[in-house]
Amino acid sequence: MRTNRREFLYHLSLSCGSILLIPACAGNDSEWRFFSNEEARIIIAFAEQIIPSDNDPGATEANVVNFIDKQLTGPYARHRNEYRLGISGIVSSSEAVYNKYFCDLDRDTQRDFMEQMESGKLPEEFWKEINQRTFFNMLLDHSMQGFYGSPRHGGNKNYASYKMMKLDYPHVIGQNRYVSKCATEKLRDT
Amino acid sequence: MKNKHVNAVVIGAGAGGGVAAKELAFAGLSVVLFERGGWATYNDHDDDELISQRITVLGNAFGPDDIRHPRVAVNSDGSTQVLRASQGEYSNNAACVGSGTVSYGAMGWRFMEKDFKMKSTYGHVEGSTLDDWPITYHDLEPYYEKAEWEIGVSGKSGANPFEAPRKKEYPMPPFAYNKSANLLADAAIKLGLHPFPIPMLRNSVSYDGRPACYRMRSCVGFACPVNAKNGTHNTVIPRAIATGNCELRTNCQVAEIIIDEKGRATGVKYFDENNRGRIQKADIVIVAGAAIETARLLLNSKSNLFPDGAGNNNDWVGRNLQGHAYTGAFGLMNYDVYDDVGPGATLALSDFNHYNPGIVGGGVLCNEFTPMPYHFSKIRPPGAKRWGAEHKDFQRNQFKKLIQLIGPFQEIPNFESRVTVDTGIKDYWGIPVARLSGTRHNYDLTGCKFMSERAEEILKAAGAVYTWQSVGGRGRSGGQHQSGTARMGNDPKTSVTNRYGQVHDIDNLFIADGSLHVTNGGFNPVLTIMALGYWVSDYIIKNWNGSKFR
Amino acid sequence: MAKTYLKGLIGTSIALFIFILFLGASYTWWNTATPDKTCARCHEIHSSHSSWTSSAHVEISCMKCHGTALENGFKSLSEKSRMVVRHFLNKPDPDDIRLSEEQILGTMERCRSCHQGEYAGWLTGGHSATYADIMLDETHNTAEQLNFDCLRCHGMFYEGTILDLVEPISKQGPWRMKDEKMAGKATIPCMACHMIHSKGEPAQRPDYSTPENVFYRRMRGNNALGFYFRHEKTHFTPDDLPKPVILSGKDTVQTPADPVYRLCVQCHAPSVWHQAGSSDDHTPAGVHEGISCMACHEPHSNYQKNSCDKCHAGKSKNCRLDVRTMNTTYFSPSSKNDIHTVACTDCHEQM
Repeated sequence: MRTNRREFLYHLSLSCGSILLIPACAGNDSEWRFFSNEEARIIIAFAEQIIPSDNDPGATEANVVNFIDKQLTGPYARHRNEYRLGISGIVSSSEAVYNKYFCDLDRDTQRDFMEQMESGKLPEEFWKEINQRTFFNMLLDHSMQGFYGSPRHGGNKNYASYKMMKLDYPHVIGQNRYVSKCATEKLRDT
Repeated sequence: MKNKHVNAVVIGAGAGGGVAAKELAFAGLSVVLFERGGWATYNDHDDDELISQRITVLGNAFGPDDIRHPRVAVNSDGSTQVLRASQGEYSNNAACVGSGTVSYGAMGWRFMEKDFKMKSTYGHVEGSTLDDWPITYHDLEPYYEKAEWEIGVSGKSGANPFEAPRKKEYPMPPFAYNKSANLLADAAIKLGLHPFPIPMLRNSVSYDGRPACYRMRSCVGFACPVNAKNGTHNTVIPRAIATGNCELRTNCQVAEIIIDEKGRATGVKYFDENNRGRIQKADIVIVAGAAIETARLLLNSKSNLFPDGAGNNNDWVGRNLQGHAYTGAFGLMNYDVYDDVGPGATLALSDFNHYNPGIVGGGVLCNEFTPMPYHFSKIRPPGAKRWGAEHKDFQRNQFKKLIQLIGPFQEIPNFESRVTVDTGIKDYWGIPVARLSGTRHNYDLTGCKFMSERAEEILKAAGAVYTWQSVGGRGRSGGQHQSGTARMGNDPKTSVTNRYGQVHDIDNLFIADGSLHVTNGGFNPVLTIMALGYWVSDYIIKNWNGSKFR
Repeated sequence: MAKTYLKGLIGTSIALFIFILFLGASYTWWNTATPDKTCARCHEIHSSHSSWTSSAHVEISCMKCHGTALENGFKSLSEKSRMVVRHFLNKPDPDDIRLSEEQILGTMERCRSCHQGEYAGWLTGGHSATYADIMLDETHNTAEQLNFDCLRCHGMFYEGTILDLVEPISKQGPWRMKDEKMAGKATIPCMACHMIHSKGEPAQRPDYSTPENVFYRRMRGNNALGFYFRHEKTHFTPDDLPKPVILSGKDTVQTPADPVYRLCVQCHAPSVWHQAGSSDDHTPAGVHEGISCMACHEPHSNYQKNSCDKCHAGKSKNCRLDVRTMNTTYFSPSSKNDIHTVACTDCHEQM
């Protein structure tokens, strides 16, 4: 019985103690689902160049990186390897061409870098496993989707792009029950 | 449990299949309607632009899914690639009850008389399989009328001076123009053209119990929240089921049509919703899976008498794959013309469908459906920046100033544009997948250039301060308006079916979709497909005597 | 033998007693500690927690509104364990985690315990309609067929579609609730128009030593408004809602500057042509142009019968008429001069 009590206490403390461990599940090395913090920084800088902030929010404020990160654990899971390779390609190319980390480049140089990448002019040695133009186009598309798509996919925070385009969202539109004016109003005399 | 023998199996609950199932069920035949997808509703993806049936970057809203339904494409350099269903080059329609009619733009066009007589009108075109249909517009006219009234089309007869003659008015009045349509109508009239409202498979007033369209801007690619967009899923298919004669089996993938030693179809092999292989025996088989899947199914249905696929002893199944080369022009006004009135497309011009100087055929020009934000991010004049501050500026300032005139150019069919089956790649159920190859006839580029020039002239006349053309006609054919792969014809050596959609040599095998089209008209083809659904069913009903065809 | 048995019994009892003490201590701690040490340890509700800390409800603990795992007995225990299972099995994206409709409606029952006046007002007004009231109404169902869009304005939290809710989907009745448990539930509950975790200050007494704080220096009150949009499953604050362009013929109508209007007009919306008075629209045009909805309609109950008295003296000095007896819908519902769009020229010649 002594043994049983000890065992009992042991199991009890284990089960109660493990509850305290649950908060640890929340903890994680990176704040992103797929990206490391560093990779996310690069994507944020890249996306910000694609849709810069001016009088209206840009890609960073619209949380475009969250869209990309989220989709990489969903329908874009097939692009994960490309992102890993492409991001390291960007880092290596930036070091080689400007002797600086991509995120530390000033805005104009960064833009310059991206234009080179868009035309395939970055040093080819860092782009053997992935084509730089293909990767650029993919990042371009994904950034645009993240900025102009519905916020339910992780980007377009606070409907920044819809507001910028002055799109009424949610639509202000009523029902048809009272007098359908569609067919009669404003019809041209054809 | 074994399936009971039925009179007819219809494969594909889309525009043609839905109609066929209903007609046969009403005539008292027992029907099983197979559909590889399920029921789709607005709630599935409501207004999500990135998962719609038009912008499919995050997947197809109404199927098919990327995993189970690959296709193969052959590039111009001979290399091949495996395509996912959500890729643009896949040439998707949908995989759900009603198929494309759930989410389409719903333009309800009748072809013109000359569209059935392209060779007689224009003569032979070198390197093409341009030919006349074995039926005329007048054969199909009563069936167009039936489709317009049963499924529901809004329009104004007589508004288009070029339209083919019609006996009866449209069941519903036309849609009122939006701001950009009014602008373009004025410009067109000034140029001596003849604008008119697009006939729509959409309720302009309450019809068939369902509400009238309330003109939401997000329409094409989306299902309708008030069920005002007419398709087969909310008209003929429920009526077919209500007769008690038609059983709709969703989530069933048909693998093969079984042809016996006498050259008759005896039924189909399919995989049910639990992926179990089953057999459904029937007296008549009607294939309506749209041009690519229909061709694929016929080619996969090999038997001793037809070693290359059902009806394919002459190698014409899968050939002449055509669609529509979309072409036109964009313009920017210097004031806002956007008024949030959907679906966006309301005005049409049929002046360029035929008898264009030096051009074979032509196409209708319409103001386009409202572009959604991500779609608009891709609409830029040639040479414009694709990203950065300028791109964003354009998005912000020009969105409400855009006007467009776009239309489907009637492609010149060619023999090498085709669907075959891949020997290596198989789908989830182990069925060889469709393989798309060939290119459009190089004539299409010429024709598209002509249309784009006309469109640009009209936009300039409307006062656009900047215009640019968007010329189609290159690359592989197919797309959502896919057709031609099992063309009808009087000569069994150069066609797959006779004038009634009955496969030559296989009496009880019919096609009732766009595969039948010899040429595809200069208009969206869905109403023609529905009319052919009625036409083929009518023949079956009149000639089927309970055990065989008279 | 008996001695060992007794010893064992005492030992077990002590262990049990300590265990109960431990449970009691944990339970007390869990219910009294600040949420950032308990509920909000979990990153999935981190954003809800941080918005709560800057909201008007910051002094009310999570449990007061969201309930505890134990209060509904087995039902809530099983619901909470299902949530834990889902967390480990499905690994839902934190961005996508939302309360279910049942949880939302359950939370709103608790609003009532503090906001009794508002609840009573709501109950007596048109916005307290239940699913049965709305979905089985014969006049509406025969005028336009039931469709998905109905739920955008009443039933916005419903997790199914119209097809799961009521049948038949037809203009011919009789109709019945397919989902019977919804029949008595509210279709426009508190959170249709209110966002609880939104920026605000808890109510507090003013500093009476500086009386102007109670009069002209009084700060604008927070009313935690937020329009719940069904398709995005989020709230839009009135500032984020679009200010629609409303027309009367070809002329633009000056819409009320009050942000509340933008919320009301989402459901009481004009047809796509944006004509004032079309469809369900009640944008004031005519003599009342630009006046906020709330100037005449009490919040929650929307009671408007006292409204004329608020602005119009008994007998108007200009026209020497009692506005309450003029030929408008205020006086008689069958009048063709709707109070929202009535203009002087409806009865008088243009001057």
